[in-house]
Amino acid sequence: MIQLKDITKRYEINKNNTITALKDINLEIKEGELIVLKGASGSGKSTILSLIAGLSKPTSGEVVIDAKHISKLPDNFASIFRRDNIGFIFQKYNLIPNLSVEENILLPLIPLNLDTKVAELKLQKVMDKFEIIHKKNNIVKNLSGGEQQRVAIARANVNDPKIILADEPTANLDKKLSISFIEILKQMKSSNKTIIVATHDPLFFGLDFVDREIEISRGNII
Amino acid sequence: MLFQLMLYLIHTMEIKMRDKINLYLIEYAINAILRDKYKNFFILSIFTMLTFLLSSVFFITNSIKYELDLTLDSLPQIIVQKTKAGRVYDIDADIVDDILNISGVNNAVARVWGYYYFENIGVNFTLVGVEEFEKQYKNSLEKIVQKTTLEDANRSIMLVGRGVKDMMSKSYYDKYFNFIKPDGSLKKVFIGGVFDADTQLESNDMIVMSKDTLRDIFDMDASKATDIVVEVSNPKEIPTVALKIKQKYPDVRVITNDDLRVSYENIFDYKSGVFLALFIISLFTFFMIVYDKASGLSGEQKKEIGILKAIGWRVDDVLKEKFYESFIISFFSYLLGVSFAFVFVYILQAPWLRDIFVGYSDLKPVFELPFVLDIETLLLVFFLSVPIYISATIIPSWRVATLEADEVIR
Repeated sequence: MIQLKDITKRYEINKNNTITALKDINLEIKEGELIVLKGASGSGKSTILSLIAGLSKPTSGEVVIDAKHISKLPDNFASIFRRDNIGFIFQKYNLIPNLSVEENILLPLIPLNLDTKVAELKLQKVMDKFEIIHKKNNIVKNLSGGEQQRVAIARANVNDPKIILADEPTANLDKKLSISFIEILKQMKSSNKTIIVATHDPLFFGLDFVDREIEISRGNII
Repeated sequence: MLFQLMLYLIHTMEIKMRDKINLYLIEYAINAILRDKYKNFFILSIFTMLTFLLSSVFFITNSIKYELDLTLDSLPQIIVQKTKAGRVYDIDADIVDDILNISGVNNAVARVWGYYYFENIGVNFTLVGVEEFEKQYKNSLEKIVQKTTLEDANRSIMLVGRGVKDMMSKSYYDKYFNFIKPDGSLKKVFIGGVFDADTQLESNDMIVMSKDTLRDIFDMDASKATDIVVEVSNPKEIPTVALKIKQKYPDVRVITNDDLRVSYENIFDYKSGVFLALFIISLFTFFMIVYDKASGLSGEQKKEIGILKAIGWRVDDVLKEKFYESFIISFFSYLLGVSFAFVFVYILQAPWLRDIFVGYSDLKPVFELPFVLDIETLLLVFFLSVPIYISATIIPSWRVATLEADEVIR
């Protein structure tokens, strides 16, 4: 279970200016739930994902995942937690452009120093599942937007994490590719992963397999 | 069976190795270097050049120091010269008997020697006179005299150093040479053989012949000598014996081996000073590169660290990868630079660079840099280059890696 308790997050612009991204947020997400966080750009959706992933720390309040106080973990432990439990699909994919598909997907496994065969098996499995195996040796920067997104999804799943976070996953895709992503989402949901999607794309609203839609506006849950 | 056991052992070693060293990280580091191949090739080239320069300087210094130490060790303990009006003149050879009577003196030899300028080659050679049955003041001379005879009833003979022989051969003087005496007449001296002394600095420009022949060439009186060298039984007594000689003969200049050592070392230090300037320039350039790297990472590099952290890399993992990356570049450059320096100094004999060090090359026509393998020098070059570059890469990466991943990606 993911719990956000009285979360406030402020970003410091300079000494005199701060922006409040989230204000006293309280949220509980059960295991296996698929949540859509909706709201306009700058409403605070991405900040929630970032806090859950331990990529940033709240100004006040606590993030608790399966009884672990994520927001209080030292940086190295937060990284290990992220590596073992969370797959993050970024809005701009955040791939390493000059590496091949295979090398990008392998990135989260590198620190684990797995046996070559085990790593190969995991790689093969996600590339098959997200239909990118035919491009495995291609350099990522030469791929189309949809293909890059598949690589990002495969990378987020290679470690078989319990939680998938997707930040504006269809922002750079056309309608056809967006629908294709929704299908992938459905597929991931069926494997009992907890999924949180932050989006303002109307295609995600009213989907029957989505458990909850939560609207965020100006750092508050409405 | 044995084959299976070997396979098992290799497999076990592979697993143990993998536990200790993350080969994926090393592979990623190599990929990272190749991704930025033009920039890294540039860094590698500059780094190699600087390590090469630094190593060459140290190798040449070591070789010359080695040669100088040998030369200094073979210098006479005391040299007595006759001076008049501040200039050096030939000394009376019979002073030797008086000096031998001073307590503590083991041996005293009247030397006959001087320089001869070979006009058609434009080089000065050192001419040394010896008496075959006299005790020589140097081991190297003793060896030369023992091996070959300089006495011949019909003709004058000389023994020449390797460098002299080569230079003379270039001017077609293979068998003899006609020395021009001060009165303009010629003195024909035959080449009786070639010798290799203990040190090349000393032997290359040297010609050995009998004292009588040399006196004839220099038009010197038979009762005179160039100077007198004195050997003292107890080296601690050298200053006392020198003082006694000075008191007995106020018109002579007494030079001890310590005075000579200081003078040699001063000349050498001057040469080192010139090189120090080059060394500082090299170091300055190197630090410019280091500063450039240390001053920060590019936006792309920062983002990459952010991404790696976001997908679960720890700060340690990022730093390890950066360590491998910088170590591969710097160590490879170090190996290349040192190897090039070895070839340049010891095989090619450091063209251009050597002339700055061995500035008295007119006097020493052929001088080979002897091979001196000094682990300390190799370590010094390593510590002056590799760790500095690694730190310059790791510190800015560490700064970025310890920021919140979210902040770095944004």
